[in-house]
Amino acid sequence: MRTGLFCVLLCWFMPAFAATPSLSELAETSRWQALLHINPGATLRDKHQSYVDDDTFFLADSGKTDPLAELEATERALRAADSPARCRFPARYRFLSEHLGWQHEAPFSHCDDYNEWRGAIHAKRAVLVFPAAYLNSPSSMFGHTLLRLDQGEDSAVWLSWAVNFGAVSTEADNSFFYMYRGLAGGYPGRFALVPYVQKIQEYSHMENRDMWEYTLDLEQSELDWLIDHLWELKDINFDYYFFDENCSFRLLELVEVARPGSELLSELRFAEVPVNTVRALDERDIISSRHYRPSKSVELDNLRKQLDGAQQKLARALAEDPGLAESPAFKAEPEATRAIMAAVAYRYIRLTHRKEERTPEVAKRSFALLTLMNSLPAAPVPETRNPEPPEKGHGTQMLGVSGGQREGEQDFGELTYRLTYHDLLDNQYGFLRGAQIEGLDLTLRSTESGQVKLEELDVVSIRSLAPRNRFMKPLSWYVEGGLERAWAGRRRLVRYIQGGAGGSWLWGNWQPYLLTSVRMENNSEFGTFLTPGAGLDAGILYHRGDWQWQLGSVGHYFTNDEYRSSSQFAVQWAMTRQHGLRASLERENRRGGYDDEFKLQWRWYYD
Amino acid sequence: MKKTLIAAALLGASTSAMAVAPGGPGCGWGNMLFEGQSGMPMHLLATLVNGTTGNATFGMTTGTNGCDTSGALTYSGQSLLGMTGVMEEVAQDMATGDGEALTALSVSMGIQTEDRARFNALMHENFAAIFPNQDVTAAEVMASITDVMKQDQALSKYLA
Repeated sequence: MRTGLFCVLLCWFMPAFAATPSLSELAETSRWQALLHINPGATLRDKHQSYVDDDTFFLADSGKTDPLAELEATERALRAADSPARCRFPARYRFLSEHLGWQHEAPFSHCDDYNEWRGAIHAKRAVLVFPAAYLNSPSSMFGHTLLRLDQGEDSAVWLSWAVNFGAVSTEADNSFFYMYRGLAGGYPGRFALVPYVQKIQEYSHMENRDMWEYTLDLEQSELDWLIDHLWELKDINFDYYFFDENCSFRLLELVEVARPGSELLSELRFAEVPVNTVRALDERDIISSRHYRPSKSVELDNLRKQLDGAQQKLARALAEDPGLAESPAFKAEPEATRAIMAAVAYRYIRLTHRKEERTPEVAKRSFALLTLMNSLPAAPVPETRNPEPPEKGHGTQMLGVSGGQREGEQDFGELTYRLTYHDLLDNQYGFLRGAQIEGLDLTLRSTESGQVKLEELDVVSIRSLAPRNRFMKPLSWYVEGGLERAWAGRRRLVRYIQGGAGGSWLWGNWQPYLLTSVRMENNSEFGTFLTPGAGLDAGILYHRGDWQWQLGSVGHYFTNDEYRSSSQFAVQWAMTRQHGLRASLERENRRGGYDDEFKLQWRWYYD
Repeated sequence: MKKTLIAAALLGASTSAMAVAPGGPGCGWGNMLFEGQSGMPMHLLATLVNGTTGNATFGMTTGTNGCDTSGALTYSGQSLLGMTGVMEEVAQDMATGDGEALTALSVSMGIQTEDRARFNALMHENFAAIFPNQDVTAAEVMASITDVMKQDQALSKYLA
């Protein structure tokens, strides 16, 4: 018994008494690996090497590939009391001093820049921020993540810092090169620290993106590791790859520095969709709370919905002419309603003119409305009811199995894979209504006789159906391209790109849309290499509970006098978050005939 | 983009940059209500960058929006007001008597939690004096806030 207790005590105290660990042991620890940004196998690129792509980050020549050599070089460089390297690597110093038992008094006394900077960052809390999707930019559905460091005041997040990882481009690059180089890793990526208020301006006010804020359950000492390490990343270049080594991926690395061994990067991540960062942190219980910050346009919408049609019309007119505040119609309303109308008018005028050059006329009207608001009681913005957190939405990849029947042909079975992300019939929970983005959607079809053929390959399909109302008049649009089966003597695989623009409206659960559509088709049966066509794309969406319905038609008239259209009636039942059942009835019309097709599909979302 | 600007926008930019004009030269997250903050329209590039990739880190890191982000390593009431767009938010909060922008302003001025309701009420009452017209500048607003606080028993101590 006594020896047993002794053993326990011995084991307990062993680490303290043990000889200092060897450098080779230390080089293997997860903290050291995290400090060097060693890839634990999360991406195939640079496996077991550092992600940092910058010689100045390493003290050893082989530092990028050899954590031990880097540790030895770091130990030599940081040991001396007046070592300038200490000022550059405070987190590494802390790591070494803790493990090697260094007892230096005021180790950073000679580091003026670091001390000044460190003194200004009093983070008491770290918050992961996810600006959600916004309409008319469905590509924003991929989102973005950044880290917010709060100084402690719950209500003063405007004074917080935002840690942002982004690619550093040159101004001369146009968007095409941006996309290409962003995808191909042509830009270096760097961490930046900016006032969070600028991020609120950028996302919530300018882009009208809702923001989700997730408080991370990190202790003060863990936060200190993170902040000290941030300093080490000042002016340090990483490779930036849009798909995997992006903003979200790098933030996970930072959390890994704060809490080594959390295994955030232990799985292979082919494409790091930012919402998966939230999920990864959530699964490891690093998120302690969640906060929703509505965008300016959501706030306007919530305010406006308190008014009836006539009052909304008056508020809209008030924005154009603040003098209407003296009109009998305005004065006839109760004070609380007048306050809401004034707030709606003011917010409307600010929202619509925010991206334009300041004009004296708009400034004058805005100011008159602000003064009117001041003379009335405050009109608080009603909270959004049940905002849907994006991380609770369906998975980013999808596998589908379907069976169906096509008129005049045999029964068929299909296998579908979609890399990313969401279409209008998929489970809407956590997604922006009316926004669709699909990348790499592949369908193989086999008939009873067993042939397997490519039925469809959507390379990209983006659709933005932004509802118009009295205040907001956004354009709806879509663009898509790829390979699909279409009629030309028989069903043939054709290559196409098509898109269009128009309007969409929201009436309760109904969302009708009407878009013009143009199409370029490469069809071996057509005389020309590319055949243009024009037409319409129209339909109506209906959403209720777990059910999403769509009735829609798209038709084109081609320059070679061909005509084709396709009408579809489809419904999806969102059985669970990750499973859906979809039925569709489609009629394909062509000059002189048509085919009907019925299909039932099971859709499984994952990752 | 000039390297110096990138460097300034990055970690650890010096506090001396607080002397930079409100929001920085050519800094534009759009049109602001108040004079001295008239932004330029958002860069087309910035729009495209956001629109095509859903990743809006560019603006800050490269200065595609023309913003000098270095001006606020330590906030004071003045520098917070000077930041693009903030004054407009503060004005709106003062007009109604509450809001995050007003809280941020009071915190940055060192006003303790127990005095913040008083501060908000005082700003609300004196909105017309602090924002007499749409052409008022951040410096004038700050001077008026100080004047109003001087007259107040509970808040004058924060001006010492």
